[in-house]
Parts: sequence; C-alpha cells; structure tokens
Amino acid sequence: MKLNRLTIYGFGHFHDRTFDLSTDLNFLVGPNEAGKSTLTQFITSILFGFPTKKHPVLRYEPLDGSRFGGEIQFTQGSATYIVTRMDGPRGGKVTLHNETTDLELPANQLANLLAPVDAQLFANVYAINEPRLGEVFAASKQELIDRLRHVGAVGSDFWLQQAHQLDRQADSRYKPQGRNPILNQQLQEHRELTAKLAKADAAYDTYWQLLQEQQDFRQQQAQMQATLRHQRQVTDQLTQQAARWSAFTEWQRLGQLAQAPVPSGFTAADATQLEQLRGQATAADQALAADQQRLQTLQQDAQLPPLFQAYLPVAAQMDPLLATLTTTRTADSDRQRLAASQHDLEERAGTIEAQYATNGQMPRPFSLTTTQQVAALQERLTTASQKRRRLQQQLNQLNERFQQQQPVRQQQRNPLADKQIIWLAVGLIVLIGSLFLPGTLFKLVGALLGVAVGYYGVFLVDSSTPASREHDELTADIRDVQAQLREGGHLVDDLNNQLDVIGDAHGLGDLPTEQWSAAQAAITEWERLSHQMEATHAQLVKAQQQVANFLTAVGAALPSLAGENFQTVAPQLAELQTLKQAIQNQAGDLATVAERLKTDQITADQAQQALAAFLSTRNLRSVTAFYDHYQAQRERHNQAEQRTALATQIGAENLTALQQVTDQTSLTQAVQAAQTQQAQTQQALDLTTAKLATLAGQLTHLTASGTQATLRQRLANLETQMVATTQDWLVQRLVSQWIAATLAAASGDRLPQIVTQASNFYGKLTENRYTEIELTADTLRVKRADGAWRTVGQLSRGTAEQLDLAVKLAFAVVMQQQVAMPLVIDDGFVNFDAQRRQAAYALLAEISQHVQIIFLTADTAVEQLRTGNLIRLND
Amino acid sequence: MKFIHAADLHLDSPFLGLTSLPSSLLTTVRQSTFTAATRVFDRALAEQVDFVILAGDLFDRAEQSVAAQAYLFQQFDRLNSAHIPVIISFGNHDYLADQHQTVAYPANVTTLGANVSTHTLTLNSGEAVAISGFSYPQRWVTTDQLADYPVHAATDWHIGVLHGAVATGSADHYAPFHVADMLTKRYDYWALGHIHHHQLLTEQPPILYAGNTQGRSINETGEKGAYLVTSESGRLVPQFFTTAEILWATATLRSAATDLRQLTTELTAWLTEHVAAQSTLTQLTIAGATLDGTDLASVRSGEWLTLYQRTHARQLKAAQRYLINVVIAAQPANLTAPQIDAAYWEQGAATIFAPANLQTTFGKLAQEPALAAWFAQPATRSQLTDQAQHLLAELTGKEGHDEA
Repeated sequence: MKLNRLTIYGFGHFHDRTFDLSTDLNFLVGPNEAGKSTLTQFITSILFGFPTKKHPVLRYEPLDGSRFGGEIQFTQGSATYIVTRMDGPRGGKVTLHNETTDLELPANQLANLLAPVDAQLFANVYAINEPRLGEVFAASKQELIDRLRHVGAVGSDFWLQQAHQLDRQADSRYKPQGRNPILNQQLQEHRELTAKLAKADAAYDTYWQLLQEQQDFRQQQAQMQATLRHQRQVTDQLTQQAARWSAFTEWQRLGQLAQAPVPSGFTAADATQLEQLRGQATAADQALAADQQRLQTLQQDAQLPPLFQAYLPVAAQMDPLLATLTTTRTADSDRQRLAASQHDLEERAGTIEAQYATNGQMPRPFSLTTTQQVAALQERLTTASQKRRRLQQQLNQLNERFQQQQPVRQQQRNPLADKQIIWLAVGLIVLIGSLFLPGTLFKLVGALLGVAVGYYGVFLVDSSTPASREHDELTADIRDVQAQLREGGHLVDDLNNQLDVIGDAHGLGDLPTEQWSAAQAAITEWERLSHQMEATHAQLVKAQQQVANFLTAVGAALPSLAGENFQTVAPQLAELQTLKQAIQNQAGDLATVAERLKTDQITADQAQQALAAFLSTRNLRSVTAFYDHYQAQRERHNQAEQRTALATQIGAENLTALQQVTDQTSLTQAVQAAQTQQAQTQQALDLTTAKLATLAGQLTHLTASGTQATLRQRLANLETQMVATTQDWLVQRLVSQWIAATLAAASGDRLPQIVTQASNFYGKLTENRYTEIELTADTLRVKRADGAWRTVGQLSRGTAEQLDLAVKLAFAVVMQQQVAMPLVIDDGFVNFDAQRRQAAYALLAEISQHVQIIFLTADTAVEQLRTGNLIRLND
Repeated sequence: MKFIHAADLHLDSPFLGLTSLPSSLLTTVRQSTFTAATRVFDRALAEQVDFVILAGDLFDRAEQSVAAQAYLFQQFDRLNSAHIPVIISFGNHDYLADQHQTVAYPANVTTLGANVSTHTLTLNSGEAVAISGFSYPQRWVTTDQLADYPVHAATDWHIGVLHGAVATGSADHYAPFHVADMLTKRYDYWALGHIHHHQLLTEQPPILYAGNTQGRSINETGEKGAYLVTSESGRLVPQFFTTAEILWATATLRSAATDLRQLTTELTAWLTEHVAAQSTLTQLTIAGATLDGTDLASVRSGEWLTLYQRTHARQLKAAQRYLINVVIAAQPANLTAPQIDAAYWEQGAATIFAPANLQTTFGKLAQEPALAAWFAQPATRSQLTDQAQHLLAELTGKEGHDEA
C-alpha cells in the first residue's frame, strides 16, 4: 500500500491542503508547530477512524470551523482508491471509491483493504515517534515480548488480550497456591467433606463390630439360656430333695428297722392256723360241758313224782283209760259246748215267749189261707181309713165355707145341724153295727147303709130353700159327706171285726193287727228253737254220761283223783302219760351221753395238744405272746410298706441323690449354692439381654442415620461441581496457551528473519557497535561487538531507541509482502547523535526502496541529503 | 422352576453428575437404590421364586455403607423366612473381603468363592439346579475365568453366573470372556452382571446382563430392572421387569429462541409436551438457539436453569422432570481466525492438546483423586479439545462482532 495524495478538508490548523507523496522516501520538514504530528494523526485518523470525543486532543477538529476530515488516495495492489472520512458517528463517516474501476465500495471494505493492519498495529509499528520508541523502557519485560510478538504476528494484540483475560478468568477459578478461587474453595470443602465422610465411615467398622458383638451376645444368650434351664432343673431337684429330707430321714429310719431279723412263723396264715386250733379246742370244751350238763339233767330226771308212783301199780288198769283220755277230753269239750248252746236256745225261746205268749200260751201260727185273708182285710181297711180321712177333710172344708157364708145363720141352722148330726150318728151307728155283722157282704152292705144314712141325713134331707140355694147345696154337700163318712166308718168297723175274729182264733187277741206278720215269724222261730233244744239236750246227756263214766273209772283206779272234776284230772293224766314216755326214753339217752362225753374228752385233749405244739414250735408260752409277736410282725410289714410309699414319694432319682448327701445342712447349702448360681446366670443373662437391646438400638441408629449417604451424595455433587470448574479452568488455560502457541507459531517463522534483519539494521544504526539481537520466549538482549551481552535495561536511552527502531524497520521490511504499510516517522531521532542520525537517514533511504517512508522532521539537515521527495510544511 | 436374576444393585451409592437437588427429591434419590432392590426382593416373594441370583456389585465395598449392609441382612432375612435361597457372586465393587464378613449372611445365602465353584440346589419340585460362578477376590480379575466353569452338570438345569465384560483384547480388568466359550458349556442360562444396561448377548440359551436396578448417572438412561426367569418346555425364558424409582434421560429441545425469555417459554411448552411417566432426571440439550454472549453465559453458568427451576417448579413437577443441567449446543465452530493462519492454530493445538501438556497444565490437581479420575477418563481429552475449540470460536466471533 502506497499513499499517493493527502487531501485535508479541515484537520488541526490545516484546511484545504493537499500533499502529493512519492512511493518511496518522503521528507516533510517543518519547525515545531508546523503540523508534523497533526499530519501523522491525519493519516491514522483517515485510515482507522477519528478518535472518540473523549480524546479531543487527538481528534484535531479544525479550529476555524472548516469541514472536519479529508481524503487519502492510495494504491493497493494494482488498484487506486480514495478513502474519504468526514465527521460522523463511530469514527467518522467513510466513503471508499475505487478509482481504477470508478466504483463506490461499502465503507467496511476499508478494513479488509487495510488488513491485517489495524489501528493498534499501525500505532505500535508503523507510526513511529520518539515517545513510542521510549516505551521500550517503560514496558515490562513481558510487555516487551508481547510487543515483539505483536510485531511478529499481526492481530496478536487482540489474542494476547484474550489470552490474558482467559488467564485472569482461569485464575479466578483455580490457582495452585490460592485460597479464594472457586476450585480452591471446592477442594477445601472436598477435603472437609472427605474427612467428615471418613469419620462417618468409621461407623462402618463400628457396624460390623456391633454386628459381631450382637452375634456373640446372641450365642452367649442362647448358651446362658440353656445353662439357666439346666440350673433351674438342678435347683428344682435340689429343692425337691430338700423338701423330701424329712421323708428321707423317715425312710432311712424305717430302713434301719427293716434290717432287724424277722422271726418266722408269725404270718397271717400262722395266725389263722392258731385261731383254728383255738376254735377247735374251745368247741371241744363246749361240747364236753354241754354233754356233762345233759348227763346231770338226765340224772335229775330219774327222781319220779308221787302220782307216777301211784300209777305204776295200776298201770294195767290205767293204760286203757289213758288211751281214751283224748276221746274223753273231746267229749267233755262237746258237753261244755252243748250246755252253752242249750242255754242260748233257752234264752232266745224265753225272749220270744215273753213277747208273744199270753198267759204262758204261745199264739198259733196262721195257715196260708188265713194269712192271705188277713192281708186282704188289712188292705181294705187301709183303703177305707184313707177314704174316711179324705171325707173328713172335705167336710171340714165345707163347714168352713158354710160358716163363712152364713155366719149369722149359724144359729138358725143349729137345729138343722143337729138333725144332720143325728143322721150322721145313725149312719155311723149303722156302719159300725154292720161291721159286727157276720159275713163280709153283710158288713159291706151295712157299712154302705150306714154311709147312705149319713149321706142322706147330711145332703138329701137338708133341701135348701130356694132363697138360699147355694146354702142349701152346701148344706147338702156337708150332709152328703157326713153320710159318706158314716158309711166309711161302718166299713172300717166291719173289717176290724173280721180281723179280730181271726186274731182271737189264733191267740193274737192282745196284739194289734199291725204286729201280726212279725208275730207270725217269731212264732215260727220259737217252734224251731223248741225242736233244737230237745236235740241238744239229748246229746248233752250222752256226753255227760261218757265223762262221768270216765271219771268214775279213774276214780276207781286212782283214789287220789276220785271226786275231782275232769278239768283237774285231765292235766295230771296228761303229765302222767308224758312222764311214762320220758322214762321209756331216758335209759337210751344216758348211754349215748356217756359215750359222747368220752369222745369229747379225747377231742378236747387233742386240740389242747395241737395248740401247745403250735406254741412250743414258736417257743412261746401263751397265745397272747404269739399275738404280741404277730402284731410286731404286722407292724414291721406296715413299716416296710410305708417305706416303699415314702420311696415312691421321694422318687427313685431323688432317693439315689439323697443317699449321696451326708446331712441336711450340706443339702441346704447345695440348694443355696444352686440358687445363687442360677441367680448369677439369670443376672448375666439379663445383662446380655440388656446389652443386646442396646446393640439393637445402636445398630438401628447407625443404619437409620443416613449421614454416610448424605455426605456421599454431597461429595458426589461437589465432585461434579469440581469437575465442571476444573474443566472450565482447564479449557481457559488451554485456550490461553493455545493462543500463545498459535501466536508463537505464526510469528515463529518470521521472527528469526525480523531478528536477523533487526540485528543488521541495529548494527548499521550503531556503527556496528552492536552486532546481534537475541529474542527468546521471555528475554531480549543484545550482543556488543566485543561479544558482551546487554539486556535492554543496560542500554542507554538512544541506543535503546535505536534497538526499537531497528526492530520496527526490520518488521516492516520483513512483513512488507503481506503488510506493505507506509512507515510514518515523526521526528524519531531526537535522541540520536549526529553520526547515528546520518546512519539512520542512510538506512531509511535504503529501506524506502521496499517500503514507502513518510519522515516528518524539524531537522533541516535532511534538505542537504538530496534524496527523496522533500515537502516543506510551511510553504 | 422360576428364579430372579438381578445384578448391580449398587446399594447406597450416590447419584453422579448432580450439582444440587431439591430436598424433595434428595430423600427419594438417597433411597432409590434401596427402593429398586426392594422391588426385586418383593417380586421374588410375590412370585415365590425358587431362588435369587445376584450377579455382583450389590454394594460398593469402598464406600463402607452401613445402610447397605443392614439392608442386605434385612432383605436376606426376609427371603430366608420364605425359604428362598440367594446366590451371590461378588463383583468388582463388592469384591470378597474377609475382614468385614465376620458376621455371615443368613443361612439361605450362598456366596460363591474366589474360584469357580458349583452350587447345587434341589427345588421343591424335585428339580436339581447347578449354579456355577465365582466372586472377585479383589477389584480386578484380568484373566478369562470361563475355562474353570464345568460343562453342563447332570442336573435338570445348569446356570452360569458371571460378573464381567466381553473381552476386548486389551486392558480387560473385569473377568473378560467370549460368548462363544460360554456356548460350549451348554448351560441353560448365563446370568451376567457388571454392564449397567440390560441386554441379551444371545437369545438361546439366554446369555444376558440384568443391568442395574437403578440408574445412577446420566450415562445410565432408560429402563432399569431385573429378570424373572421361568422354565417353559425345557427352556428358560427371561422376562424383564422394571424396578427403578428414578429414571435418567437426555433430551434435545429444538429452539428458535434468540433470548432467554423465548427460551423459557419454549422450555415450558416442551415440558408440557414431554411429561415423563415417573420421576426423571433430565439432561436437556438446547439446539438451534441463537443467544448473545450474556445470555449464553447465563445458560452456561447454570444461572438461568436455577432461576427457571425456582420459577417453574410447578411445571417441572407436573412433567415429573428434574433438569440436572442444560447444555447449549455450540454454533458451528469457525476456526478461521481473520488474522492468523489456520495452520498456526492447528500447529498450536498440536502442542497444547498433547497429553504431556494437558498433564502439565493439570498439574497439582492430579493429586486430587476425584479430579484425577475424571482426568484419566479417555473422553476427557476430547471433551477438553471440543470445549476449547468452542471457546475459541466464541472469541473469534467476538472479535468479528467488535469489528462490525
């Protein structure tokens, strides 16, 4: 790129000025304030934009108010362009015109045309002035290197800035030695968390330990439970044994008794045998005594009573009598019965007689006909009597009525009444009289007549007066009834008469008719009794005769009984008869008894001997002694049984165990020892159980705490964050490194050329006092002609400025293939001595063959050089 | 016959890749490994299975979790009461260590030894089942153990248990094996553990990983559970059932947002459309959004997400999603720096992203185990490179922006 013409509209104190430039070396000469710096700034501003209004000094706005801005015609490649920049936003309003093609180009095309040079690179490298050369000394080593790098690789400034920013960001994330960066904090937290987790992890060992303990304790618990069960059994056994101690001592005592020798022969069988023997002896004795008693009785009976002695002589006479005694006794009893019977009959007959007999004469009984007749009569009589009573009643009624009707006339009628009574009396008489007539018909007729008379008198005679018809009728009725009454009376009389006749004929005159039938029965009974009495009397006489005969015979034989009645005699005779029979038997009995006595005696002796033998074999004196022994034996037997019962009660095992025990005290001690042991085991078991419970609690706590999991998750989360931070950090660091490496690579192949060229230029500028520049990654030094190395700090100001100039010129020359920007040098050599300044001018002239140089200076010496395009600013 | 094949319970292990959790979720997360395992054991009891195979990594021995051990004791007791045997082959996380196993698990639990051994069970049905396997004696088992497995025993069934990974040929630390070798044993079933994604290596006989029962990081997305295996006409048929309490998921939100307000609206709409079936920890990638530097930084730093979670708790809860982080997909990187030749950038990258330089830059942080582990991951280097490129791209963009 070559600048051909600068046209200033208004910039600083310039307005409407045009500077035509040559493509090689241009000297623009002017004193101070001629506008050298203004021109430098004009070129920069038109190409890269006006500075912002924050930097008014660098804007160079025209003081006279002319149009701010200007244009530059330049050649790039084969084309010529005009760039115009006027006042406007964002660095000014730009127009770009391609003069070769005569086309307006978009404003942003300018940057592409200028690339890769930007404002900064232009300022740093191509726009050289004294203060900028002096920056070499103000710069830190790193900045210097960066600057050199910047020089070496276009656009690197931005990248270096980015790299620097990335490094800062990376540092905020992590610094190996830091404390505040994020990752450092996270690492710290991580360490803390890890420590916490390690602590929590200790629970893991604790857990297994506890688990192990739990298992151990469980085993222990099981063992102890088994032991305890066993101990309980032992204790129970011992307690049982202790409780049975008294039984055991009793058992032992009985055992000692049982050990005493047992004599034989005192068994229950023996006792039974003895009892048999004794029974036999007793029975034998009793039989003997009884027989002796009988013998005595028999001997007593041999003395006879007097009657029997009296009998004995007349035995022949008496024996037939005695034979008839039974018969006679029967006869006597018959006699007594008959006598009683006769007496009874007599009494009964007497009673009947007393009732019915008249003058000691009994009435005769009726024949059958008579009986019928009497019955008929009595019937009729009864009928008649009834009829009469009825009539009488009727009459009474009539009389009553009559009296009611005619109470006054009663007196008048009295004569009539009298008449009626007469009639009635006549009728009655007739009636009664008829009754006395013989024959029933007569009586009946008579009675009827009587009645009729009476009737007539009462009813018919009294014909009533017409005036008192009713009265008459009544009167007639009364008469009629009266008549009938009379007639009935006759009939009754007649009948009574007939009955009387019959009664007289049979001796019943004194008896009323009603008793006739009863009397008839009594009469018949009486006659029968009379006949019985006659028969009884005959038998009685016969029996009396028989008894009397017997008594007579007895009296004849036994005078002592003579004159006695049969009742006295009969028992004596019976006794006599019995005695006689007894005496006949007595002789046999005695013999038998005597024989039996002998036998009894032998039996008794034998029994007694057997008993004695029984006792003597047992070496005893008495039965009592046997029983004493026997009792003792039974007692022993009982004790043995008791012992067996005790043994059962105690139990076989306990018994065996108890037999090992010396005394109760040791047993009690053993029980206590067992109980103590059991209690200890129980205590230990309780302790274990409690420990297990505690362990279970601890395990639950450990399991449920969740601390481990929480910490681990937090740690995992933190690690995720750490990785993210680390990744960011690493990426930033790597990109920073990458930028550096890329810049190094980009500049890497030019830098040696630049350094070589710079060394060459530096030699020329310093009249070969310094021969070599060395640029490493972080150092810059120069080699003197004598071989000594100098660092930048050791150089004088002028020499250092020459070093910078040399590097910049070298860069421009080396990079001109790509960049080809003009070098604008604004009075850069003020600190150079005259020789070095001349050398510098010579160098510029040399370089200008490759690079357009615009050299602005107040040094008029350049006018003498006669090289290049000379422009006087004050013209 | 019926049994359950589960593996990688990872009891009481923390969830990885989370920076913060709402307290409501924290308890669920802390219990989730237990909840998932309980579902396995509950199923075992409900189905009255004949036995349970746990193919390793029941817990992380290094983490020394009391809760995990107490839980196992309790669950094994449960199974013991139901007379269900448990066969355990310890893996690389819960490798055999005698020092703490002084208190043995209940009688129904059989822990396979460090050498391959065969345990034979006689089931109630009278069938005999041989189960062959081993436990890791320490963290790594680098040699192929299959040679020690016997061929099919004279039992009705023979099952192989193995905690390991298919051999890759180099750096195999986890009992490397070849499926072909397994087939030669002619077993009826291979119960595998170690890989956290449930998957079948062969159909017949079933050679399969049960996967873990509860996902614990964003790398463990999808359904998690165990297998209920039933015999059907002389074959063993595995049936997967889910156990996870919390799911992990990655999702992408296609966005046209140019600022955070629009992004917020879009995310809310997305949440209503993408309601999860159960609690899901979701990593959301936002693609297509064109945000300016400040907004981008707000999203990157997580500020925006924190704010969103605070202001949209209801929507998140309704969608059953907890956003663990939001990643903005980078705009296509343009590495052409305007002023420096791309070749120089590449040249620079070559030295900077060389492992030696990475290690040097990582420096003292290598002493931090958690960071060292992350740094050692193979993915880390490429991740770092990607992110550095993204960052540089942003810086370049910034430069361009400033010029405009």
